[in-house]
Amino acid sequence: MNARSCLADGVALAEAQRAAPAPVIALTEVHKSYGSGAARVAALRGVSLDVRQGELVALQGPSGSGKSTLLNLCGLLSEPDEGRVQLDGADATGWSMRAQTLARREKIGFVFQSFNLVPVMSVFENIEYPLLLSGVDRARRREQVERMLARLGLEQLGLRRPDEISGGQRQRVAIGRALIKRPRLVIADEPTANLDSATATQIIDLMHEAVEQDGASFLIATHDPAMAGRCTRVVCIHDGSLVSDRSGMPAPGAPPRAGASGARP
Amino acid sequence: MKALLYAIKNVQRNRRRSLITLAIAAVGTAAVTIGGGFALYTYDSLREQAARDSGHVIVAARGYFDHDEEKPMQYGLSDYPSLRNRLLRDERVRAVLPKVQLSGLISNGDKSAVMIGSGVDPAGEFHVKGPFLKVLEGDVLTPHPEPGSTPEVLLGADLARSMNAHVGSGLTLMATTTEGTLNAIDVTVNGVISVGVPEVDKRLVLVAVATAQSLLLTDKISSLAVHLKDTGQTEAVAAELRDLGATFSVQTWQDQAFFYEAVRALYNRIFGLLGAIIVLIVAFAVFNTIAMAVVERTREIGTLRALGALPMQIVRDFALEGLVIGAAGSILGVALCALASVGFGLLGVQMPPPPGRSVGYPLHINLNAILFLWTVLLVIALSALAAWFASRKAAARPIVEALAHV
Repeated sequence: MNARSCLADGVALAEAQRAAPAPVIALTEVHKSYGSGAARVAALRGVSLDVRQGELVALQGPSGSGKSTLLNLCGLLSEPDEGRVQLDGADATGWSMRAQTLARREKIGFVFQSFNLVPVMSVFENIEYPLLLSGVDRARRREQVERMLARLGLEQLGLRRPDEISGGQRQRVAIGRALIKRPRLVIADEPTANLDSATATQIIDLMHEAVEQDGASFLIATHDPAMAGRCTRVVCIHDGSLVSDRSGMPAPGAPPRAGASGARP
Repeated sequence: MKALLYAIKNVQRNRRRSLITLAIAAVGTAAVTIGGGFALYTYDSLREQAARDSGHVIVAARGYFDHDEEKPMQYGLSDYPSLRNRLLRDERVRAVLPKVQLSGLISNGDKSAVMIGSGVDPAGEFHVKGPFLKVLEGDVLTPHPEPGSTPEVLLGADLARSMNAHVGSGLTLMATTTEGTLNAIDVTVNGVISVGVPEVDKRLVLVAVATAQSLLLTDKISSLAVHLKDTGQTEAVAAELRDLGATFSVQTWQDQAFFYEAVRALYNRIFGLLGAIIVLIVAFAVFNTIAMAVVERTREIGTLRALGALPMQIVRDFALEGLVIGAAGSILGVALCALASVGFGLLGVQMPPPPGRSVGYPLHINLNAILFLWTVLLVIALSALAAWFASRKAAARPIVEALAHV
């Protein structure tokens, strides 16, 4: 995706968003730099972004544009140098590490490009892990994981280990792990990058299903045009600044957005 | 429970490395328990030997333990038969043996040597001493010699060699009597013995109590040695005797077992230091293994942290892995120790004579449940602690850095 085309597509969404529900995650004038002195590199320069419930937001931009930094801030994996991060209306800036961890545990799911499944755990156990962290009792864990396995079409693979299943199946497990706690927000970093197009389509379908069934919101960093094309909103970032914010296909089961999309002020 | 299951699975990830660490823990534990078991056996043996030499409880006249006698039997015990009979009625008591200490000269007619001897009860003394007295030649003293026969004597091996004496040889014992005069009696060698200490074997003479009394011209004895069925009852019996006696003093075998205490202090330090070093080596091995695992699993740590695991939970998981390695290794080590104990027994492995002794002793490892339990707990605790130490930094590392780790 190139920045010029993003810019060309940019139309403001402010009007439509004013009427929408409170954002699940909201970044306000966020700055983030790495290094120090002469080697200091600004990764984000005053970025403002919010993701509302039920949105599937694709984050596009060239390598080094600040996508991962933005995802990390939205996922409460790091903190901004300046600006504010709000999760479900609560200002998460300056939260303690413990508070951030507990917030991630309850409200945020993660899907990684390389799946990042725990190799010694079975498929069942990988999906179960977030429930274990939350102290869900054994019977409820079992019930929820079995339901998730059925939803993912992995009922027969529960006892397999990650290295015994295909890449597509692994990513489905990763999505199952991200969704098992019914998070408010799922952060996905290039979730289809290592998958063939048919499998990638299945993964995108799963995400749409999660939005429909669980009301989850997705913020997805992707280079995949097919994936971006099926997101409800596409945000482009370049050199640490958002350069466009446009609507894509309508949210599953939601009325179409009012107006066209574009760069936000 | 799940965390423990994952810990076991994680330990199996790099089997070779885990097995090596486990082997170090096993060998370390085996070394500690074998060393400890050997020390305990030595303590037991020395305790038994000391108790059999002196009796568990020693009763003597007042002043005997505290003062040097200006003349023989100055602090002798005269009214001992009633006390002896009373003690023999106690179920805890195995034997009550009178002793007469004497010193003087022994002569074969051509040559004289200094002797340090004891008058003992032939009927009970050698039965109680059992394996702690080695008869090299002849036999022990006859319990009930024929009236009018020449008194018998047992000589220490080195003294017998010095006197050129053998079984049947006639010798003369000379000593100062209780009245301060010199007395002598003729004796016949009935046996040659060794207590395993050359310095003692060079001077040792054993005769019957009656023989010693006739040499010293007394009807007193030096002390009564009370031998118990259970060494653990020593303090109780001694305390009861102290309560009884206004006319006599009481000591326990421990009061007289200077060698036992010295060896125990020495072994405690040697085996304690070696044990500490070995356990530290085990801890370092576990630390190294977990540290390598932590580096390899940095990205996984980042993933788990992203999913909502607290650093404390990550550290706990690694500590559990250390615990699994420590537990498996230490239990295997205890099994190795038991195997070694049986093996040494079957092979009849002998230890060389310790300093100051002339005979070795069998290498035996005491299988002591308390020693095993403490060693296993120590190895487990240190392994878990080492793993905790190895993983605590990585668990607190920024998640973004951990996820980017290659």
